[in-house]
Amino acid sequence: MSKRDKRRAHHRGAALLAGPDETTARVRALIASGKTREALELAKQLFKETRSAEAEALVLVAYEARVGALLAAGQHQEASALAAVIGERFPAHRARIATLVNRSRAIASGDLRELIAELATAAAPRRQEIESVLTRELRDPRMLADAEGLAADHPLRSAARAVAELFTAVTSGPLPDGALAALDRISRRSPLSPWKLLIRALDAYYHRDDGAAIANLDAIPADSGPARLMPVLRHLIGDPAPLDQRSVPIAMLVKDVTAGRGVVRGHMRRLVRALAAGDQATAVSAVERIVPLLALERSSVKRTFAVTVLEQWMRAGLNPTPLMQALLRDRRDVEWQRDAPRLLALTFERAGFWDEALLLWDAYLTTALRAGVLPPTGPAPSRVLLHMAGLFPSDRDQVLDAFDVDSDDELEEAIAAGERPECADRGRLLARARDADPGPRAYRALVAHWEPRDARRAEAEAEAWRRAHPHDLEPLLYLARAAERRGAHRSALDLLDDAEAINRVHPEVRQSRFRLLLASAERRIREGRFALALADLDRLDKETAATTGDTFAYLGALRGVAMRRNGDGAAALALQEELAARLGNRTLLALILESVAAAFGLELPKANGPASQVEAIVALGRASELLRALERPITVPQALLAQVERDQGGVSPADLHALCEAGLAIGRPELTYRASGRGLAADGPLLHRFLLARGRALAGAAAQRDRDRAQRCLLAARDLAGRARDMDAVSAASAALETAARSRELDSLRMYPRFEAATPLTQEEIASLVATERADDRVPRFASAKSGRKRQRSSRRQRDLFDDFVAFLEKSS
Amino acid sequence: VNPFAVLGIEETAGDDAVRVAYLAAVRRSPPDRDPDGFRRVREAYEAVRDEERRFALRVFGPAPLDPEALLDLVADERRHVGPASWLAVLRGDRR
Repeated sequence: MSKRDKRRAHHRGAALLAGPDETTARVRALIASGKTREALELAKQLFKETRSAEAEALVLVAYEARVGALLAAGQHQEASALAAVIGERFPAHRARIATLVNRSRAIASGDLRELIAELATAAAPRRQEIESVLTRELRDPRMLADAEGLAADHPLRSAARAVAELFTAVTSGPLPDGALAALDRISRRSPLSPWKLLIRALDAYYHRDDGAAIANLDAIPADSGPARLMPVLRHLIGDPAPLDQRSVPIAMLVKDVTAGRGVVRGHMRRLVRALAAGDQATAVSAVERIVPLLALERSSVKRTFAVTVLEQWMRAGLNPTPLMQALLRDRRDVEWQRDAPRLLALTFERAGFWDEALLLWDAYLTTALRAGVLPPTGPAPSRVLLHMAGLFPSDRDQVLDAFDVDSDDELEEAIAAGERPECADRGRLLARARDADPGPRAYRALVAHWEPRDARRAEAEAEAWRRAHPHDLEPLLYLARAAERRGAHRSALDLLDDAEAINRVHPEVRQSRFRLLLASAERRIREGRFALALADLDRLDKETAATTGDTFAYLGALRGVAMRRNGDGAAALALQEELAARLGNRTLLALILESVAAAFGLELPKANGPASQVEAIVALGRASELLRALERPITVPQALLAQVERDQGGVSPADLHALCEAGLAIGRPELTYRASGRGLAADGPLLHRFLLARGRALAGAAAQRDRDRAQRCLLAARDLAGRARDMDAVSAASAALETAARSRELDSLRMYPRFEAATPLTQEEIASLVATERADDRVPRFASAKSGRKRQRSSRRQRDLFDDFVAFLEKSS
Repeated sequence: VNPFAVLGIEETAGDDAVRVAYLAAVRRSPPDRDPDGFRRVREAYEAVRDEERRFALRVFGPAPLDPEALLDLVADERRHVGPASWLAVLRGDRR
C-alpha cells in the first residue's frame, strides 16, 4: 500500500471512528492548516457515510478550500477541472462553484483584479495566499498600481506604482543616477520583490554591466512572473543557450532591442564554434543566414566578414565552393558579386599564393573597369596594377614555375598565343600602370623592373620619367648612375650638374658627386692621365664624404697608385707610411692597397710580416666596411682569411660586428656565424645586431632546420632592434625575413605555410633563443652556389581548391 | 577597427566630410577627458585623411579579423524600446 493510500485509509478510519461533530472539527482544522487534500478526503468520507445536509455543506467548503489551494499553487487547469467536477456532483451549488471557476480562469489569463480587491479585507493566511499568487501571476505591475480595490495609499499599491514607473523608465531610456533607490523599500517577501530584481537586471543590462545583470537575474525566483523574461535577457546578454524564438513576442522583443543584430550575433556565435570545430555543414548554414542579415549593415562589415571567413576557411582546409555559394547567393547584390574576386584575391595574397591572387586581381580589375567602378585612367587603376605587379616574387624562377614555362621568351610566346593571361607579364602591368597615371610611382617601378633585365630599357624609362617630371631628382640620379656604369662619365657629370641645379645640398646629389669624381679619378689612372687623376683626388679630398671612416685611406691608396705609375715611387712610399700611421693598422692598409692594386691589375710586394690576431680581425672588418660603402671589391689573402677564421677572440663588439658583416660581404657565412656567436656570448647593446648577422648567415644554410633557426633569429633581431630604436637593423631584419620567406619552398603537406611565417616571438621565446644560439657552437653546413633551376609546382591540393574557386566564379558570372 | 566606422562616415566620403566627421568625433572624445577615445579617433583620421589612403583601405582592405572578433563586427545594440515589448513577453503563454 502506498503512503498516500495509507493516509487515506487512516482518515477514512478516523471518520468512521469519530462522530460527525469531531469529523467536522477535524476537517475545518485541516483546512486552516492548509492540508486541503486531507480535509477534502475526510469531508467526502463523512458525506458518503451520513448524506446529511451538514456533511454536504462541509464537503463544499472542503472543495472550495481545495480549489483555492490549487489556484494558490498556480494549478489553474487542475482547479478548473475540479470546479467542473463539483458543479456536476452538486448542481444546486453550481453558481457558487462558477465563481471559483471564473476566478481560476481570470487568474490564468492574468486578470488579478478580484484577487487584489480581496487583499484589502483578507485575513493573514488568505493574504499570504493571495500574495503568493501575485508573486507568481503578476505580469504587469501597472495592474497592481491601478487596482481600485485597494486604497491609493495601500503599501503594496504605492510600491507597485514605483515599480511600474521604474519599469517603464528603465525600458524607455537610461535611468538617472539614484533612480533605483525607490526600490529599496520593497522587502524580499513582497510579491514585488522579483520585479525589483528584474528592474535592476534591466538597468545593469542597458549599462552593459552584464555581471550585475546576471547576478540580479539569478536571484529572481524561477516560479515568479518576471522569471518569464530571464531566458530572453540571458540571450540578449550573450548566453549561448538556445532561445525558443518561435514565440512571436520573444522574437519581436529580441529584434527590437538588438535592432535585428541579436539574430546575427547568434549565428555568428554558431559560425565561430563551427569553424573552430571544422564543422563545414554548420558553418555554411550559419554563413547562409548571416549574409542576408548583413545587408542592413555598412558594406565594410560584410566585406570584413567575408575576408575573415575566407581566411578561416582556408586555414581549416574546408571545401570553398559551398562557402562561395553561400556568400554569393544574392544575385541582386551586383556590387557584392563584383567585389568577390577582390576579397578572394586578398585572401590568397595574404596566404602567400601570389599567382592565384594575381589572376583574381586581374578578374576584379577587368570587371571594375567594365562596370565603371574604377575609371580607365588615373591613380586608382594605376595603383591596382602596381599592386598586382608587386605580387611577383623577386626570384624569376618562381615566376616561370608559376606559369609553367622555362624562360621569359617562352612566357612571352604563351601570352601572345593566349595560353597565359597578359597579367603574367609584369613589365606589361607596369606599363599599363604608367599609361593610366604617369606618376613617379609607376616610373620608379618600371625602372626597377627593367634594371636587372634590360639596362637600356630601364634608362629609356628613366629618361621618359625625367621628361614627364623635369624637376624630379630621382630619374636624374638614376641616369647619372647608369651613365657612370657605362663609363660615360662626362654624361654622368652633366646629369649631375642638372641635379645640382635642382638641389645642390641633397645628400644623394652630394654622394653622387663624390662617387662620380672617384670613378673619374680611377678611370684617369687607368688611362694613364695621372695629373688629371691627382687633380680629381685633390677635389675628392675636399668633399665631406672623404672625411668619413677610412675613406681617406682608399683615396690615399689611389693617389699612391697614380704617383707610382707616374714614376714618383718615393712619394708613394712616404704617403704609404703616412696612411699606416693614420690608420694605426698596417694589415688594414695592406688590405686596402691590395684591393686597389687588384682593381688596377698591379702586384704589390709582400711587405708585411704576420699580423697579430686582433689586428687581422680589425683589419678585415674595417676594410670590408670601407670597400662595401664605396661599392668597390675587396681582395682578401687566403692566409689572412684562414688566420681570422681560426679565432675571433680579443676584439671589441664593434669590431666583431664589422667582422660579421665582412663575412657576409666576402661570401664566408661560416665566419659570420662564428663571429656572431662570440658577439652573442658578450651580451651587450649590439645583441640584436649579432642576432641579425647570425640570422642572415643561417638563411644560406643547407639544412631546413638551420633555415628555420634563421627565421627565428631574424624575428628576434627585429623585435630587439625595435626596442633599441635601431631602425636600420629593423629594416635589415625585415628585408632578410622577406627574402627568406620568398625563397622558402612550399611544403606540400601544408596549404598555407605563410600564415605561420611572421608570427612574432614572445620575450620568453627570444630569451630562450638567445640562450640556445649562445650555446650552439656547431657551425652548420652552408649551401654552395645555386645550382640549375629545378621547376617546382605548388601543392596539388592548393591548386585543386583554387580551381574550384575559379570554376565557381566563372559559373557565377 | 574600421576607421570609417570610428568616424561614422561612408567609404565614399570626400576630404571635407572626413574633416567634419573628425572634428565632431574629437568634440565627443576630447584628449583631456577621453584619451583612449581620442587616440582611436586620431588613428582613424590618419588612416582616411586623404583620398589615397581611403582608396588603399577600400581596395586593399579590409584585413581579416580573429574569428572570435566576428562577434564584435556587428555591434551589440541595446535599444530602449519602451515597456510594451517586454510586457508582451511577460503576458505571453508560458507553456
